[in-house]
Amino acid sequence: MKLPTIGPMYAFSKDFGAYANDYVNLGKIMAELKTHNDSYWALVTAAYAKAARGTAEKAPKQLVTKEDFESYRRGAIEAFEDAFTELFASSEFSVVYGKVFSSQLDFSKALQSIAEKNFKVLNLPARGEIDEMLKDIHELRKSVRELKKEVEVLKNDQARRVTT
Amino acid sequence: MTKQEELQPDQKQEEQKSPPPAQPQQQEQPRVTKEETDRAKEIRELYRKLEKTRSILHSAGDVEVGQTPHEILEETRTYRLLHYQQMVSKTAKTPILVTYALINRSYVLDLQPDKSWVRSLLSQGFDVFLIDWKTPTTADKYASFDDYVNCDMDHCVDVVLKKSKVDQVTLHGYCMGASMSAMYTTLHQDKVRNLAVIAPVVDTEKDTTVIGNIAKHMDVEKMVNIIGNLPAEQLYSCYSILKPFKQGVNKYFNLVQNIDNESFVGNFLRIEKWLYDTPPIAGETFRQWIADIYQKNLFVKNELKLGNETIDLSKIKVPLLNIVADEDHLVSPQCSAPLNDMVSSVDKRLMRFHTGHVGLIASLYSQNNVLPKVGQWLKARSQ
Repeated sequence: MKLPTIGPMYAFSKDFGAYANDYVNLGKIMAELKTHNDSYWALVTAAYAKAARGTAEKAPKQLVTKEDFESYRRGAIEAFEDAFTELFASSEFSVVYGKVFSSQLDFSKALQSIAEKNFKVLNLPARGEIDEMLKDIHELRKSVRELKKEVEVLKNDQARRVTT
Repeated sequence: MTKQEELQPDQKQEEQKSPPPAQPQQQEQPRVTKEETDRAKEIRELYRKLEKTRSILHSAGDVEVGQTPHEILEETRTYRLLHYQQMVSKTAKTPILVTYALINRSYVLDLQPDKSWVRSLLSQGFDVFLIDWKTPTTADKYASFDDYVNCDMDHCVDVVLKKSKVDQVTLHGYCMGASMSAMYTTLHQDKVRNLAVIAPVVDTEKDTTVIGNIAKHMDVEKMVNIIGNLPAEQLYSCYSILKPFKQGVNKYFNLVQNIDNESFVGNFLRIEKWLYDTPPIAGETFRQWIADIYQKNLFVKNELKLGNETIDLSKIKVPLLNIVADEDHLVSPQCSAPLNDMVSSVDKRLMRFHTGHVGLIASLYSQNNVLPKVGQWLKARSQ
């Protein structure tokens, strides 16, 4: 914890405010995630109901012989395949899936931000700082590759000049 | 002991004497009993098969794949360049450099001896090299198509040219590797004699697959910023919604039914191994793949950027072979076929086959119907 700078409770209240904001934000994200998850499961449940209806329509009248069971299995697979493929190929599903995915990412980000606050206290590097380093390493690697290529070209030129 | 065996001898005699309409109860009993006996047998058989399936799946261990002999010409932290051993005397001087996708593993092109794309090309007298991409790490978050195409692929092409003592290669890509091969050809055409692509992702607006649908609303920028590389689990979730019941569920029923068929089980395990052998995808590459190619369709608009260079498909003038599958549920044929209209090549051909994305490269159908035609096309255009 930081030492108080002005007055005995200043740093404490400032830290507390930041932590509280993070948790309020996390709560908002979770509420959003739940809304999107509910929409997602509503679509899946509707597809399931459609598939179950399709299965019932395709099912043999009685289940006695092996062939009856086999025919039931085929009918069920077909009905479920049709209902769920129709769902997964729909634009509605694409939108809802995108929202669920986005909310999950927001949730991860909020948790990351809370964890990174503690990292700072423990003097550990934060994700953003590591990313900066990775970007630098990537740029350096690229530069080295280009330099190596240029050196190769120069070497070849020199070798050609020597032979001629 | 079955119910039938439990009957006393005198009871049986009585049954035989009695006319059917007068004794309906006794008449039906032996029939039902036989059915029950058969059913009991079936249940015992099913139980045996389930037990065998469980045992095989638990003790499968390492399933052998990619068995065609090869040497590793070069290995870096991002790829291995494989050179396959000749099987027959070389009939084509132009080497084939196969570029695999960054999704799953390259051994699907050499899954098993009788379904190996690579082995078939070798048996037709081609000299085959393959870029086998390695698993990207957190440090590869910023690796983009520019790095894969302009650095790694270009270096591999140089190594192959040097090894084969030729000036040009036949570039042969599959799926995402096919799109990468097309990108490479637009920028380094002088090193490419022929371009042969299998199921390339080109015009994503025309793509009718579930993958294309999901990609439309994916906030990929956010994903890369927060997670970095695309985790394998995310890819599994995408795969699980492709033919979820016909393939995802039904294949296990088929496995149980065919559990005594050694060859079927072997095929199943190899494909299963490949399906779940999914490395993550480098963050920036995945961002370009989804945002630039799937969402903005920049590849077909000739606006895709690789570093400082723009990919213009109309610059491709080399002979082009575009191989697509009519039943492809990962890259629809409508998405792949427009490549032929985009390039400036005079010699271009579109081959369509009635099979799926994997069936196109790793099936008996492919060995008998696809590869002979592909080999013929390549041979006619090789040195």
